[in-house]
Amino acid sequence: MAKTIIDAHNLSKTYNKKIVPVKAVQNVHIHIEEGEFVALVGPSGSGKSTLLNMIGGLDEPTSGTVIIDGVEITKLPENKLIDFRLHNIGFVFQSFNLIPVLTAKENVGFVLQLQKMSKEEREKRVLDLLHQVGLEDKINSRPGELSGGQQQRVAVARALASIPKIVLADEPTANLDSKSAGNLLDIMAKLNKEEKITFLFSTHDVRVIKKARRVITLVDGKVDSDVQQIPK
Amino acid sequence: MMLLKLAWLNIWRNKRRTFITTTSVFFAVLLAVTTRSMTDGVYENMIHNIVSFSSGYLQIHQNGYWDEQSIDNSFEVDDQLYQELLKNPKVTHIMPRLETFALASYSEKTKGVLILGIDPTKEKEVNNLHEKIIEGQYIETVNDNAVVLGEGLASQLKLRVNDTLVLLGQGYHASSAAAKFKVKGIIKLGSPDLNNRVIYMPIKRAQYMHGAENRLTAISIMLDKTTNLEKLKASVQVVLDAEMYEVMTWKEMLPEMDQFIEADSTGHYIIIGILYFLISFGLFGTLMMMIFERKHELGILIAIGMKKHLLALILMLESIMIALIGCFAGILGGMLVVNWFVKHPVHFTGELKDIYENYGIESIIYFSSSENIFIVQTLIVLLLSILLAFYPGFVVMKLRPVEAINS
Repeated sequence: MAKTIIDAHNLSKTYNKKIVPVKAVQNVHIHIEEGEFVALVGPSGSGKSTLLNMIGGLDEPTSGTVIIDGVEITKLPENKLIDFRLHNIGFVFQSFNLIPVLTAKENVGFVLQLQKMSKEEREKRVLDLLHQVGLEDKINSRPGELSGGQQQRVAVARALASIPKIVLADEPTANLDSKSAGNLLDIMAKLNKEEKITFLFSTHDVRVIKKARRVITLVDGKVDSDVQQIPK
Repeated sequence: MMLLKLAWLNIWRNKRRTFITTTSVFFAVLLAVTTRSMTDGVYENMIHNIVSFSSGYLQIHQNGYWDEQSIDNSFEVDDQLYQELLKNPKVTHIMPRLETFALASYSEKTKGVLILGIDPTKEKEVNNLHEKIIEGQYIETVNDNAVVLGEGLASQLKLRVNDTLVLLGQGYHASSAAAKFKVKGIIKLGSPDLNNRVIYMPIKRAQYMHGAENRLTAISIMLDKTTNLEKLKASVQVVLDAEMYEVMTWKEMLPEMDQFIEADSTGHYIIIGILYFLISFGLFGTLMMMIFERKHELGILIAIGMKKHLLALILMLESIMIALIGCFAGILGGMLVVNWFVKHPVHFTGELKDIYENYGIESIIYFSSSENIFIVQTLIVLLLSILLAFYPGFVVMKLRPVEAINS
């Protein structure tokens, strides 16, 4: 039996509690097992990003707990939480969010430098990752010199650099054309299969949803459905 | 290393803004260095002019002399002490002095005077006393039986060169000191006080007149750099018998002049302070812009695992780098300007020259090339850049990643 890697229990988030309370996420329970490839879907404003942010420790829930690989991150002090993210969670954002002054190689290696990995090991890991995302010929290019799809592939490589337990991707294909999006999804699916990394991504891109093995649908901050499917 | 590289790359993301900020720091430092060099040069020259004719930078007396300035508190010349003092590399000249008070009389006029028994050759080397002669000649040897007196005193006594002056005073151990001297020269000194009451006398003659053979009231010491004053005092004290001698700096002997310089310097410090205050706003504005336009990116960095204190450190490094680039350029420019003025001091001409010289002040503005000026300005800018980075650092520490990412 695979172990639970993400356990969100009774998770709620309310914004503007004192003025006009907006319940972004309401009593959500999610259990995701190691190696799953999960799509979090729902209309705009359904709470996908908020839920993802809370699972990633970027936002504090109003109530409920988040346990990642047995660690209750909602109770961790700030610095420990940052450290936890560094070693356990990879992020892929909608608008790529690479450091513009660093090259592709340096962007991917940045997380490893924060982890104080030796230069030789780092070089090896970075080149391997950039090879896996098909950017071995762009290692010295800055983000401004790369297309959107290429930048997002660098972002995926960065998210995977630290060999995280989970990768959280917030609308990773939203800013990509269909070819780049397909390409990126293939890479993510391949890495999920080969490296056994758990992927949870919010999306309303049908192409992404089709690739997922499990689809959780949120409506008005609540889980509406949670179904397993055969990826196409 | 990674932080340094990131900070360096970040400051060049907006080249024009960095250029404007560093240029403002450059001009502030250039102005500060040049004005500080000028004022220090003027003070150093003023101090040198005054102390070389009066106290010297440092004086050695017999213990208790300064409180009771009597020839009875003189001490015997010690050749070994001279040798010890001359071994000190900070000492450039040693001037033996016998300083007493007497009544000077000529014809029907009598006046209280300050007698400075000096070694004419050594004084000449230090203060170019011979060049201040306006009538007659300078005394040449320690045995010359003649005196040189201040212009004001000569005029009050109605004395002229080759007239004979009678001096009457108290000698060593209450003996009477009386002698006649030929006036060999009349001297015009910068200090009106000295000009009206000083008589320069060869030291051997002064000792003989006061029955104080081989005795001095002070050894005046000139030094290589004014900044070495306290160090030299400490090193001189080491070689002296503390029970027998006292060592005093010119600041202790001429406190009014020290206070005047302090007060005058304060005005300059205020102007420089205002200048840096204005520059600080520019630098602070740049830092705030850098942080607000990168808020989203800072949020991402925190999300992927960068600790906030490291981000604050990067901002501080960026502030230091921008400030130091401007500062080093300013120091370099300042060095060129100061070096040129050190070699080519500003000479006043025309009426301004006459006004200065009538007050006994040299009509030349000297510049100081003391390394302290450059070091102090660099440290001020460095300190400012660190202090200014605290607020952006504080903003980063308060940053919530999700809000920053969504900004």
